[in-house]
Amino acid sequence: MSKLEFQNITKVFPGVKALDNVSITAHGGEVTALVGENGAGKSTLLKVLNGDFIPEEGKYIIDGKERHFKSPREAIHAGIGIIYQERQVVPYLSVAENIYMDEIPMNKFGIIDFKKLNSDAQKVIDEFKLPFKPSVKVKDLSVAYQQMVEIMKVYRRNPKIIAFDEPTAALSDTEINELFKIIGQLKKKGIIVLYVSHRMKEIFQITDKVVIMKDGCHVDTLKTSETTEIEIVKLMVGRSLGDVFGELDRNKKLGDTILSVRNLTNDFVKDINFDLKAGEVLGFSGLVGAGRTETMRAIFGVDKHETGEIYLEGEKVVIKNPKQAIEKGLALCPEDRKDEGIVGERSVKENISVSILKKIIKYLMLDKRREVNLAEDSVKKFNIRTPHINKKIIELSGGNQQKVILARWIATNPKVLILDEPTKGIDVGAKSEIYKMICALAKEGIGVIVISSELPEVMGLCDRVIVMCSGKITGQVMRGEAKEEDILQLAMVGM
Amino acid sequence: MGEIKTESWMKRRLVNLKGVLKSDKIGLIIALIAIIVVFQVLTGNKFFTGKNVINILIASSIVGLVTIGESFLLISGQVDLSPGSVAAFSGVMVALLLSSGMSMWIAIPIVIVCGMIIGFINSLLVTKLKFEPFIATLATMSVFRGLAYILCEGRAIFVTNDKFLKLGAGRIWGIPIPVIIFFVMFLFFIIVSSKTRFGRSVYMIGGNANAARLAGINAFWVRSRLYILTSALAALGGIILAARMSTGQPSASVGLEFDAVTAVVLGGVAMSGGIGTLSGSLIGLFIMQAFNNGLMMVNVQSFWQTVARGVLLIAALSFDYIRNRQREAKEKQSLPQN
Repeated sequence: MSKLEFQNITKVFPGVKALDNVSITAHGGEVTALVGENGAGKSTLLKVLNGDFIPEEGKYIIDGKERHFKSPREAIHAGIGIIYQERQVVPYLSVAENIYMDEIPMNKFGIIDFKKLNSDAQKVIDEFKLPFKPSVKVKDLSVAYQQMVEIMKVYRRNPKIIAFDEPTAALSDTEINELFKIIGQLKKKGIIVLYVSHRMKEIFQITDKVVIMKDGCHVDTLKTSETTEIEIVKLMVGRSLGDVFGELDRNKKLGDTILSVRNLTNDFVKDINFDLKAGEVLGFSGLVGAGRTETMRAIFGVDKHETGEIYLEGEKVVIKNPKQAIEKGLALCPEDRKDEGIVGERSVKENISVSILKKIIKYLMLDKRREVNLAEDSVKKFNIRTPHINKKIIELSGGNQQKVILARWIATNPKVLILDEPTKGIDVGAKSEIYKMICALAKEGIGVIVISSELPEVMGLCDRVIVMCSGKITGQVMRGEAKEEDILQLAMVGM
Repeated sequence: MGEIKTESWMKRRLVNLKGVLKSDKIGLIIALIAIIVVFQVLTGNKFFTGKNVINILIASSIVGLVTIGESFLLISGQVDLSPGSVAAFSGVMVALLLSSGMSMWIAIPIVIVCGMIIGFINSLLVTKLKFEPFIATLATMSVFRGLAYILCEGRAIFVTNDKFLKLGAGRIWGIPIPVIIFFVMFLFFIIVSSKTRFGRSVYMIGGNANAARLAGINAFWVRSRLYILTSALAALGGIILAARMSTGQPSASVGLEFDAVTAVVLGGVAMSGGIGTLSGSLIGLFIMQAFNNGLMMVNVQSFWQTVARGVLLIAALSFDYIRNRQREAKEKQSLPQN
């Protein structure tokens, strides 16, 4: 059996030890999970293995041979394959071309031998038992199949090690199951599989061993079958989280209805009706593509809606763009933090003040002092971990970026705050901080809407949960009244 | 008391100085000084003289106006290729209006308004019809160059209005009027870019247009204003050029936009948008013009100057590339995101 050993790996970045004397062993024929909060060092470890980073100390040994990769290219040749969260496929090329990207077979005239290319690719596809042809363009495949292409690209090089970095982030449940089948096959072939994920459920589903990391250190390695979710989380955060949701200081006094949506219809959603009270935390549950995000985008004026009315505090309002929505007291914290939330190259300060520039003008110019005060207050209030307010937001961790975006919206003094997947890709510690903030905001009388695909989250956090399926509202449940299965039923079957 | 005050003042100064040394601009300033020193030696101390500096500033003044607009556009993630044509069109137009006996106080505003309309057309093509800025303005570049020729039937139009000619050749306290206009404009827009809501919006749109829109910034209006501003400045440049040459020429200002973009990129504005400053562009402009002027003084054939300018643009883009690489390396150095 093949074997991968990290011995005393240390990697230092200015001001922080990203990996501190880490020693880990992984065996072929096993799936080894790497878990830990953001910044625990999981990705850094993969990047060391990949030749992206060169560690200051320590060594890694593959099948008894010490290796020192200086570039990802060397790592690939030595049999390392890494599947990243962001797919690295070329959408306008065929499946076969993507799989054999760097080794396209040529005939003697230097022309691509499509026959051989396609038949080679077909063999790989057959091994994976997938239903598409090698000549199909990748852009025409589902997200899950695109990911499979990515895996095949790595697999056909006969790697000794395949590492998955959060592979399920963009996949639906059925797609995840297909991915797991493939991982099972890789395991049977004796490949060393490393699996990085935040999702506990998956870890118990497919891994044999769990390596827990915290602040760059290796905390413990456990057999998956002999541990529990609670134990893992405890080791990850270094303290018992307890019942995050039970400890929340909730708002118990709901105010008047603050937002009413009537018969909202557009290309994505149909006939949406709901009310939101001041101080209420209202959840929106459903599968990816059920129309939750689209509903909120329509309300916020990002997308058009053909029919339907929106009432704010009883008055009918017309919102044509986000600017008007903000002026009327709405705030929308979008799901895709990187593409729609942060302005990466700009500072924390500028990212906070962007929505209220109008309010901090003095003599036609921006009042820099007020802007600095706002940013510094926000950093304190939201516990944003940044060395200073002029740091580029892209250099912060995901959780802290999210807190900056939250601060941006609270600065606009909203009546209704819409949060689309506010804890996506955020570690456990930052998650509970965000839950607390949401409850505190509800206590101030803000109506909060939370879209979330994590069932425990909507059920634990929200006072009421509306469930959507295929663009329609299919039901609603109050907190404490429904089980996960009930919501799932509404979300999947719509009844 | 007094001592402490001085000390803290000194400290602040030092911090400021450190900031300048650390910023991207230090490399630019060194490059500018190096060019000055090299040409000073090559020309036997004839390069860095009051007279020649004024020459360089005059040469900078018209392209400098367009540099303001292109700086804003590139920071916002766009580009305009039409300013050269707009300048030629405006020069011809103002010459025609003046030769018909119109007062310059009426003719100049009319031409500038026309420039603004051209900018508005550019902005509609880009924001409403969603054409790529490069393609949309490539089209208008051709259209208005052609219209400039049509307007004057291919001839140069002479201007005899003395007052108007003073705009090009006149001096106040020894400084040519075009240079004064250029400096005042640049100073004004440096303030706009760094201290106003509009300036901030430009940076946010360039950094991430989606996020900026969702944060309540009206990207359509900001972008429209940038195209209108750029064309208006190009029109002003065309008018000043006509005054300097005492003719409106349809073939004038070919490649004006390329000079401006070269200066902007040289000055540190990232082609990807969101990063850079107008003051950086100003230094970039001086580097380019000092380089051109120096080559002329050491009698390099004018054809070679064109080659040199292209090489300078490649150098500028390489700087941009290296900076990007450094930035990426820095991001890698900061904590990994996952």
